[in-house]
Amino acid sequence: MIDDIRVGALIAYSNVKRGNKKTLMFIVFVLSLIFMNLVFLPSMIGGVSGLMTGFMQDYPYGDVVIEPTGDNIYINNADNVLKKVRAVEGVRAATKRLDVGASIGHKQKVVGVTITGLLPTEEYDISRYPHVITEGDFLSDLSRNEIIIGAMIAGTGFGSEIYDNLGEVRPGSFVDVTYSNGVKRTYKVKGIMTGTFEVVDLNALVHYKEIEDVYGLEGKEATSVVVRVDKQGTEAQIQDKIREAGVNEEIFTWADKSESLLRQAMQSIGAIDTMSTIVSLIVGAALVLIIIYINVLNRKKEIGILKAVGITPNSIVLSYAFLSMFYVSMGILAGLVLYFTLMIYFQANPVSFYETMEIAPEIDPVLLIQSILTMLIISVIAGILPAWSVSRESILKAIWGR
Amino acid sequence: MITVKDLKRYYGTGDMAVKALKGVSFEIKKGEFVAIMGASGSGKTTLLRILALLDDATGGEYTIRGLDVSSLPEAERSYYRLTQVGYVFQDYALINEMSAAENVYILSMMEGKSKKESYRTALEALAKVGLEGKHDRIPDELSGGEKQRVAIARAIAKKPDIMFADEPCANLDTVNSKQVLDVFKELNEKYAQTIVMVTHEPWHTEYVDRVITFQDGRLLSDEKMTKAGSEHHEE
Repeated sequence: MIDDIRVGALIAYSNVKRGNKKTLMFIVFVLSLIFMNLVFLPSMIGGVSGLMTGFMQDYPYGDVVIEPTGDNIYINNADNVLKKVRAVEGVRAATKRLDVGASIGHKQKVVGVTITGLLPTEEYDISRYPHVITEGDFLSDLSRNEIIIGAMIAGTGFGSEIYDNLGEVRPGSFVDVTYSNGVKRTYKVKGIMTGTFEVVDLNALVHYKEIEDVYGLEGKEATSVVVRVDKQGTEAQIQDKIREAGVNEEIFTWADKSESLLRQAMQSIGAIDTMSTIVSLIVGAALVLIIIYINVLNRKKEIGILKAVGITPNSIVLSYAFLSMFYVSMGILAGLVLYFTLMIYFQANPVSFYETMEIAPEIDPVLLIQSILTMLIISVIAGILPAWSVSRESILKAIWGR
Repeated sequence: MITVKDLKRYYGTGDMAVKALKGVSFEIKKGEFVAIMGASGSGKTTLLRILALLDDATGGEYTIRGLDVSSLPEAERSYYRLTQVGYVFQDYALINEMSAAENVYILSMMEGKSKKESYRTALEALAKVGLEGKHDRIPDELSGGEKQRVAIARAIAKKPDIMFADEPCANLDTVNSKQVLDVFKELNEKYAQTIVMVTHEPWHTEYVDRVITFQDGRLLSDEKMTKAGSEHHEE
């Protein structure tokens, strides 16, 4: 077997060293495109997924979110929960929020929204709300009778034509809010927020105290407690620690919440990704097989000669496996260069999606390793099959075609 | 050395069968240089391919050094071709991507020798056929005669018991043909190499010890060549 490997390697080496360089470059180019096809779309989908889940962390859920148990509307001891949570090692910041349903009217237009009552100064450590104010200013601790409105409902952002909106509401405009309990308030618009994400841009923000007043709450209730951790990736551990600290409400990581919310969307995208990967693999395998098969057919006489002088069929088959692995390895290397070049370009110039979202592809090392291994396995099979078939032919047929 | 008894080779079956060999018998002794002659289609190349284990006989027996090689399984035939038999093709049959040395030493490597030893053996074989200093050249950089000498070096490097040559000078001019035949003659005389060569050219018989002539798949004559002329043995 060792002799077979040595001789197979010598045949493959001389083939590469003195074979047609243009053909080699063409084969490597085609294989690099096959590799690109395998890794590029999943990277873009990874980018979409990362963007969506990033939104979930940056706005509604933080890293860990605590919500009321069962049918309860509120966490009744929110301050106590906050105290326990803030004492947990690894928690960077935490805040409470009150989400309620309401309708906002301006002139003749009325739009249904979710209004989030929040503590403005605490939000600087929790979310990106304070940083996505594109017109006007964010709320302050003294903000009363003031509201921040998402760009889509304000009628100033992308999506306004899809969703009902208030028609060009600007900072300084007055809007009438009717809460789900029937209480009506008039607010001055303090700012417009543009998060390029529906959950943000179809939302409105007021001070936490406003919701307390409207709903007659006593300063202890919250619909959620949003937590940020010191170190990304420790969410599950923090979730356990919070539970151990005696918090008996529902505790979710951002991934739990995102998964349920984005599951359907990502499943659909994932199905496309899977189909694309399977098609890429089949096309890739077929192309590698065709390339090697044509190569083998062109060298059929050579294979016959090698057999005639006593080279074993195993050596011949191995030589084509090595050759095929070399082609594919070069294709992978060229593909990686192409891939990283495109990644660098698209990360610097993200693809605009839905006009407001910018998708930068995500480099997934696991995906890359999987794709490399898949290509190499295909290359071995694609190299062995045709060479095995030709090496089993009679010497006379291989050399002289009869 | 080689014993052939009632050897037959038919292509196809029934009335349509082409009978390339219709039952030939002869013996070749160790150290003989034999020319097989005959018109095209007389069966001489078919015979050579069967003896070199490149093809199978339809009937009859043939033994090499007493071993019935016709019944060997493919793996052993392959090993036999590698170690016991040298074959020189009409069209050189070199691997174009390999240098002269690589074309030769690949067989030694297949036999399990180290690369260094294989390389040394290849250089010796190339020197024997007058190709010193041309070991790094690929076939495209060699003349027809040189290519054929590389093919001969490949055949002799493994020091086979018998060397078969199928019209080795068919693609060569007279000068190159003489060079190749001189190499054969030297191998035969100096190293007692048994050589069986198929040829069309009557002047090639000057180099051989014996001429076996085929006609229509049968042995027509078997002549021993002497310096004075030939001893004729009709079948």
